[in-house]
Amino acid sequence: MPTLTIDNQQVTVPDGTTVLEAAEQLGIVIPHFCYHKALGAVGACRMCAVTVVEGTFKGLKMSCLVKAEEGMVVTTDDQQSVEFRARVSEWLMLNHPHDCPVCDEGGECQLQEMTIASGHGLRRYTGKKRTYNNQQLGPFIAQEMNRCIQCYRCVRTYKDYCGGKDFGVMGSRNRVFFGRFKDGTLESDFSGNIVDACPTGVFTDKTYRFKSRYWDLQEAPSICPHCSLGCSTVPGGRYGELQRVRSSVNEKVNGFFICDRGRFGSSYVNHPERPRQATRGSWKLTVDEALQQLDVKARELINQHGPESVLLLGSNRASLETNWLLQRWAEEIGCRAPLLSAHLPRHQAAQVAAFDLADRLCSLEKVRQSDLVVAIGADPLAEAPMLGVALRQAVRSGGKVKVFDPRPVELPCDFEKQTVSPTELLDLLDGTSVESKQLVDLLRGAERPVLVAGGLMLGAGGMLRLKKIAAAASNDQRNCLVHPLLGGANSFGAALLSLPEQDDLLTRLESERIKMLVCVETDPLLEAPDNERFAKALSLLEELVVLDYLPTPLSVHANLFIPTTAPVESEGTFINNEGRQQLFAPVIKPRLPISVTGEGNHPPREFIDVAPGSDPIPSWQLFQQLLGEATDLPTLREKMKTAVPRLIDFETLQPGGVSCRVAHVDERCIYTDEIPAAPEESLQLVVTPARYGSDLLSRYSAKLQPRFTEACVQLHPQDAAARGLQDGAKVVLDTVEGPFNLTLKCNDKMAIGCALVENGPKFQQLVPGGKLSFCKVHAGMSHG
Amino acid sequence: MVDQFVMLALILIKLVLVFAVVLSMAAYLVLAERKILARMQLRYGPNRAGPGGMIQPMADLIKLLTKEDFIPATADRGLFLIAPGLSALTALLTFAVIPFGPTLEIFDQKLPLVICDLNIGLLYFLALSSLAGYGLALGGWASNSKYSLLGSIRGLSQLISYELAMGLSVVPVVMMAKSFSLTAIVMAQETIPFALLNPPAFLIFLISIFAESKRIPFDLPEAENELVGGFHTEYSGMRFGLFFVGEYINLVILSSMLTVLFLGGWHGPWLPGIVWFMVKVLAICFFFIWVRGSLPRLRYDQLMNFGWKVLMPLALLNVLVTGAILLGMG
Amino acid sequence: MPLLRDIKGFFPPFWVTFRNMFRKPVTVQYPEQMPELPERYRARLVLTRDPDGEERCVACHLCSGACPVDCISMQAAEAEDGRRYASWFRINFARCIFCGLCTEACPTLAIQVTSDFEISKRDPLKLVYEKDDLLVDHCGHNDEYSFYRQAGIGVAAPRGTNPSESAPVDVKDLLP
Ligand code: SF4
Ligand code: SF4
Ligand code: SF4
Ligand code: FES
Repeated sequence: MPTLTIDNQQVTVPDGTTVLEAAEQLGIVIPHFCYHKALGAVGACRMCAVTVVEGTFKGLKMSCLVKAEEGMVVTTDDQQSVEFRARVSEWLMLNHPHDCPVCDEGGECQLQEMTIASGHGLRRYTGKKRTYNNQQLGPFIAQEMNRCIQCYRCVRTYKDYCGGKDFGVMGSRNRVFFGRFKDGTLESDFSGNIVDACPTGVFTDKTYRFKSRYWDLQEAPSICPHCSLGCSTVPGGRYGELQRVRSSVNEKVNGFFICDRGRFGSSYVNHPERPRQATRGSWKLTVDEALQQLDVKARELINQHGPESVLLLGSNRASLETNWLLQRWAEEIGCRAPLLSAHLPRHQAAQVAAFDLADRLCSLEKVRQSDLVVAIGADPLAEAPMLGVALRQAVRSGGKVKVFDPRPVELPCDFEKQTVSPTELLDLLDGTSVESKQLVDLLRGAERPVLVAGGLMLGAGGMLRLKKIAAAASNDQRNCLVHPLLGGANSFGAALLSLPEQDDLLTRLESERIKMLVCVETDPLLEAPDNERFAKALSLLEELVVLDYLPTPLSVHANLFIPTTAPVESEGTFINNEGRQQLFAPVIKPRLPISVTGEGNHPPREFIDVAPGSDPIPSWQLFQQLLGEATDLPTLREKMKTAVPRLIDFETLQPGGVSCRVAHVDERCIYTDEIPAAPEESLQLVVTPARYGSDLLSRYSAKLQPRFTEACVQLHPQDAAARGLQDGAKVVLDTVEGPFNLTLKCNDKMAIGCALVENGPKFQQLVPGGKLSFCKVHAGMSHG
Repeated sequence: MVDQFVMLALILIKLVLVFAVVLSMAAYLVLAERKILARMQLRYGPNRAGPGGMIQPMADLIKLLTKEDFIPATADRGLFLIAPGLSALTALLTFAVIPFGPTLEIFDQKLPLVICDLNIGLLYFLALSSLAGYGLALGGWASNSKYSLLGSIRGLSQLISYELAMGLSVVPVVMMAKSFSLTAIVMAQETIPFALLNPPAFLIFLISIFAESKRIPFDLPEAENELVGGFHTEYSGMRFGLFFVGEYINLVILSSMLTVLFLGGWHGPWLPGIVWFMVKVLAICFFFIWVRGSLPRLRYDQLMNFGWKVLMPLALLNVLVTGAILLGMG
Repeated sequence: MPLLRDIKGFFPPFWVTFRNMFRKPVTVQYPEQMPELPERYRARLVLTRDPDGEERCVACHLCSGACPVDCISMQAAEAEDGRRYASWFRINFARCIFCGLCTEACPTLAIQVTSDFEISKRDPLKLVYEKDDLLVDHCGHNDEYSFYRQAGIGVAAPRGTNPSESAPVDVKDLLP
């Protein structure tokens, strides 16, 4: 722990800290470009010069490279360093195109800031500027190479940190160029991060091109709602439109970066068909009227037909507050406890994570630091993309990654893959088989082992088995930790609130006792297994009430529709896959964007007090109104904390601030998994989330559309050959949920004996997660 | 019987005339003040409504009448509503005792040019001028605003302080005229006005009425640049107008009192008495305006110091000295 | 002797004000008599064009950022050739205080003041000027400057052909 003096102030820092970081602790910002906390220092830009007065090496030094030493004396504001930095700025600006007014980085540009900070103001050099030709890098990233200052941050982010392969630095002397070998879409699922990393305007967000200036944006700390990891983000909006998302820092979760799904998947908020009006059929209602009708109808039905007649359905998209209030409203009107997920198997898996695994859960940070990660039934890039980047960091620091999965899993790092079918996966976890013992031994040999549990693939039963493996692999010195992957942003939260459940939505609906279904921010047509049966069951209902902010197919069937706000428009809480309770803050107010009301031209010329389309209110507020309470979040949270003692005290949390994991409990779920007998000639059906558009939010995001993949069924070439099928053939996938016409794709990276379909915008009928099931694939067209 | 009718008719006509003259004088005083002040500051002043701005008072009246009558949410409604009326009314009432000309003879009737010649007219004037404080105090209090309250507190203490000096300064006049009746006081000045006989009393009274009228240099209750509008900050429309009119009526009254008490009332050579009276009143009004154009506002402590430590002792001393001289002269 | 001084100081103001009454007022009788405006008078704003006749404004939001009363709003858009321009641009002259800070902030010399101060309207909405109302057909104070001919991003001229630029580098060139 050396103590050093910087600009006459003393500071004690841990060993290995650089002078630049030590100065930062004192609040002294030394101008810098190439240093980045996540990427480290390379000493490329020479901007961070300081003078070492006392130390092993004296004189002008790059503070990002010099380690702090005991008794070191450093000055940052002496004439020599100041002068040097001004000259560095000047030479970095030699070739700058001086186009800040048309650059999207303007206002949040490190080059602007550091140039001002270093005191360079007037251009003296009269020679010619170097120029480059730009590349087309696809739908997400715009490039303007003339602005580059060669700090190498982009390559270090894209290649080194995120493991992208199709981007790099090329050229020699002052012609170095940062881009792809030739034009084309950046392939990495983390390409957006170079926008945040580049300190200049070379790489900017194409979907946000010329939309706003930083100082006009409304921004607030938020939580990415697209998968269960709960990465920290800062969405920004203006004029009623959500315009971009940038990553925020949460060292426990995402670190410094986010994935493209989170960054570009936010335009569902601005969906042109987003319902913003409460309606009964074609009647327009005010929200108050709609709530009144909901309340009256629910109570009436319960009076007439008993508590079984009304079913409330919460979701993993709705905030913790909403789900909890939904339960309280159920008590108030006297109906059965709400289901908090339309998809029971997924919910059960989440419950296992929330109750049984709670004392072994670990954060992404622990994954990054692990020396052995074994992912079981998990495809990180599809289910939780930033886990892929975390795994890469584990590998970069010498760890190993092993994957057991039936799917053709790809990762942005070196890993060992064992292709196994879903049933084999369960065998692997049973604790008695040879493979299982090998797995335990492997884990025992590691110092910081982490098991990644794919909740969708394993289900509750598989997760419980995995728990035993983790226990077997733990010893007195260390625990074998578990990082579970769940279905949605608040799956853990919904699971934590509910009791073990055995009846699923469909069985209940088909019992015909249910007259009224209230769906809160969920669409069972897209999220429940066997949506065809569900659609039929809907017709048995007397009243269907939908509360949502997406134009889901279900909202068309709704008798009563009440609009709610998207997460970026309200406050709330999500609990992520490892039980971390995180708050998000409202970014924009719900309203029709000005680009819509003005039809692309200037805003309408009229005076109005209330913006059009500003009816939606947060769903927790709706339920507070139904309960006759004043809308008051702090009191609500206090009550919730009292009722659910596992939660962290809300007063210690704040959006974008520290987050903590909820307490674990001794309650246990008892779920079992049966492996059904396989019918003749059948394949195991594996439904996996598509990388883009598997969660409803990104499915409704126009920006992500270019990334949506075509629907297909994938078979191992051996299986295809056995059935006499060829790559690209039109086939019928025969499942318990009915036959589907799909194109066949052969893939030798997947397990033999399995049929793989992706659930995404182009194929919504089968939903990932669920009991093991079997299917058949044969040629031809079905007439079902 | 006929006599009495004629009498009644004459009294009514007199009342209406006085009323009309005082009100229109107040209105045109506003215009005169604006124009004269403007000229003193090298401006034109209002010159858009009518030729040379002559119907500006009408325009102002219409404007004030049509403006929103705003009442602050936290105001004490009843008091807030009556305060402006109170201040205009007390000002008007004072005029009842002011003699503005010698007694006329019409239709064999003696018509005194005073509405009511009270034999304690001077006390009536003093009493009403104290009552005038209520309009201000209530208006400021009822507005429930810090500026209004400060303004009215300032106004009250200022009125109380200067009323003392004013009251004392007229004691020598009463002693000299040997009557409280204003007509009698005027008659006593037939040859020589009291201003010349007793200049200290005149000066003290002059200064006090400046304070009484709440005008520069003693306009602390309104002090725009400190208190927004002082006690009438929260008033708008015609209610503000009433405060405003009250103030100018007050100005006319105070000028008349000065004329009656010190400048010999309607007495003067060649011209008819009533004209002399008008001329004197208008001259004093001009002086008021001139002072406003020339002097700055005093500080509050200066105002109080001056009132209590200079004016009061001086007035007392003056009473003693005058008394002594009168005694000496028998 | 402060008292003496005070008394002495009491009278001159009366003389000054009295004398003034007989002087000619300095007021300009505006509608009948036009005021003589200084050359750099700041009043209604316009959006000028560059010497090529193109809109100068690039919708950079610097003027709206500088405006102390927030009366400028706009939306940027991209033209076919990569030119950034304002798809709409609105100034609320009912709010503008004619401070001219926007013109100082403007990096392209697009927004400029004129001396037209006669813009009072009974309906405040009529004081909300849209881009069409603001755009003029001349260069204003400066008839030389063209932002896109200085900024090296290949909009007004192909990349690397502005006077201050060399031709785009060949990144595959290995010559020293
Ligand atoms: S493109 Fe940006 S991040 Fe990459 S080297 Fe240039 S300035 Fe640095
Ligand atoms: S002149 Fe001043 S107030 Fe008017 S638009 Fe420009 S910056 Fe805003
Ligand atoms: S500062 Fe100039 S270029 Fe930028 S938006 Fe305003 S007028 Fe347009
Ligand atoms: S930050 Fe140290 S050289 Fe770039």
